[in-house]
Amino acid sequence: MGVSFDYTPDRPEHIDTILNGLDRYNPETTSVFQEYVTQQCEERTVDSYANLALLKLYQFNPHLAKDETITNILVKCLTIFPSPDFSLALHLLPPHILTPASASSALPAAGDAPLSEAVQKLNVLNNLLGRASYSEFWSTLDSDDLYADLIADVAGFEELIRIRIALTISQSVREIERPVLESWLGMQGEGFEKFVRGVCGWGLEGSVVKVPLNKENEAKGTIVRENVKIEQFSRVIRRAYEQPS
Amino acid sequence: MSVLQNGAAPLRAMDDESDVEEEALVADYREQVQYEGMEELEQVTSLTMAQQTDDIQSRLAAAAQPLDFSAPLEVKFASYDNYCSLFHFILNSDGPVDLEPPSYYWAWDVIDEFIYQFNSFCSYRNRVARQGSNEEDIQILREAPNTWGCYSVLNVLYSLIQRSQINEQLAAMKRNEDPMAVAGDYGSKPLYRMLGYFSIIGLLRVHCLLGDFSLALKTLDDIELNKKAMFARVMAAHFTTYYYVGFSYMMMRRYADAIRMFSHILIYVSRTKNFQKNAQYDSISKKNDQMYALIAICVAFHPTRLDDTIHTALREKYGDQLVKLQRGGPESLPIFEELFRSSCPKFISPTPPDFDNPELNVDPLEHHLAIFMDEVKTNMWSPTVKSYLRLYTTMDLKKLAGFLEVEPEKLRGWLLVNKQRSRQTRWTDNGLLDGEIVTSSDLDYAMQGDLIHISEAKVGRKLVDWYLRNLARTY
Repeated sequence: MGVSFDYTPDRPEHIDTILNGLDRYNPETTSVFQEYVTQQCEERTVDSYANLALLKLYQFNPHLAKDETITNILVKCLTIFPSPDFSLALHLLPPHILTPASASSALPAAGDAPLSEAVQKLNVLNNLLGRASYSEFWSTLDSDDLYADLIADVAGFEELIRIRIALTISQSVREIERPVLESWLGMQGEGFEKFVRGVCGWGLEGSVVKVPLNKENEAKGTIVRENVKIEQFSRVIRRAYEQPS
Repeated sequence: MSVLQNGAAPLRAMDDESDVEEEALVADYREQVQYEGMEELEQVTSLTMAQQTDDIQSRLAAAAQPLDFSAPLEVKFASYDNYCSLFHFILNSDGPVDLEPPSYYWAWDVIDEFIYQFNSFCSYRNRVARQGSNEEDIQILREAPNTWGCYSVLNVLYSLIQRSQINEQLAAMKRNEDPMAVAGDYGSKPLYRMLGYFSIIGLLRVHCLLGDFSLALKTLDDIELNKKAMFARVMAAHFTTYYYVGFSYMMMRRYADAIRMFSHILIYVSRTKNFQKNAQYDSISKKNDQMYALIAICVAFHPTRLDDTIHTALREKYGDQLVKLQRGGPESLPIFEELFRSSCPKFISPTPPDFDNPELNVDPLEHHLAIFMDEVKTNMWSPTVKSYLRLYTTMDLKKLAGFLEVEPEKLRGWLLVNKQRSRQTRWTDNGLLDGEIVTSSDLDYAMQGDLIHISEAKVGRKLVDWYLRNLARTY
């Protein structure tokens, strides 16, 4: 099911028009894109291609950049890990954004020190998710109030992340011990059971969670055979005829 | 000097074997070309507008001439003004300008040189601001924030594309219709058509330099990548296109597609290198090596069978590094970094630097490298995990963790990561951003509690290729 990177099912028409025309460079469209980001945050959708266009506008017109929108875009990218979208967004941010805080905090003139701090924090989260250190992800998320502020605008952040984690688990797991899964999903008790049974559709048997078989987690061995076509030999055969005998 | 030169017309026929002599000749010839280029450029700046229009052919030729790398700022500014007035003349005269391009590769040379100068100007400006030592240059650059500005460069490229209706023409060609029907007054002229066409390739490059890899690939929507494409007629254009497309794929973590791109062009180069013993080939060989380095990186992320020619050359050039990359772990990190640094494009930042806070002007390369290295670190245990799993059909997780001397929890994470990363989007049809998610690894596994079930997709021996090659040899 090929889905092109620039395709998003419910992209509004006016956004599509801007993206396909030169207006994507027009600083006046920033506000349109910004509203679209807010809409995505509320409606739990993601349109990375449009969001990257907004970051590009910020890249060209730094004075228009809104810190909050930037972090919201990054947080939205987290909710669709392990896709490369978070990295692609980072590539469009100013080059100094990832330099360690010690260097940038020494600069009172650097107006966006809070932004680079926020971006670096989100990058930590992204790396934890990417490296499948899920329990550490949840403890890190709880460890700092700044995180709560950063994810506040994104509706259902924790649930979206849980669904993504469950998805990656279902790719490689058939059975998993309940305590492990609890720490990976960052939830316990009734909420945990409801999520596992209701949202994921997995079975709970004693202290073991069973993930139904799917294409990814059955791990069946196969033998790939070479597909030989007659056309591959056309030159050889032709030569055979051409050759004076 | 990394300009790909097409202007280097055939050198004197020489069939001596001495490489040294040949190189000296090439260098000598290059110097001459550059020297002339500079002279012409200065002449042009001293002429008045009226005189210039008289001598338009020489201006066209001048625009395609490479600028000396160490040219002083005034020359860089003057060169920018020259391009502006030339493009203004071409784009904004009353109706299409009636001119024949001096040669079929002229349009490529102009766009190539235009972007090259933009690229090196931005790098230079950033470096001056970072070092903060050259007060004189800082002052000049501070006062001219719009010279070689991103918006004006993009404006030129997009205007050339729109004027020539090149995207419409290419789309018509795809549908097997006559492109002339949609070309319009401008697009039907070779000058505009070729400038428009190579501006698309130019955009690919600029987007990539700015770190916008998805847009870079999107730009090529209407161009079909095959040997019949117009860019294939100009070697440097052919080469550049594949380098930037491959690089963008790599940054989007589509390693299979990146390898496909690099392999295609490297095989092409290795097959044609015998006819290209000239300056053009000389400058290509550097990019050639860069692409081998990039292939090494991609193969480390996505182990796969390479074409034999590529494989042999890769082992020759980067044999030691490749072994280390494929082994993974922390020891591989410096190698990834080294290869990335030496083979990535010269990234730029689109806005003028902050001259008052030199510390803020980080080299864009460092930024992109840092993001890339995070991905490398995410992946670095995959080779270790895979090498162990290959030995078993079932394995206890805690036992394996003991072998590897890590916490079982860590190992679970590695297993999940490796599985995720072996799923990749791969191109099948339509635009370059299109693709299907495929499992790229031959090793598959699933965890049942602490028990890991492992299976391998065995590939039957591929004999046809071998058979055909040997047949061809004996015939």
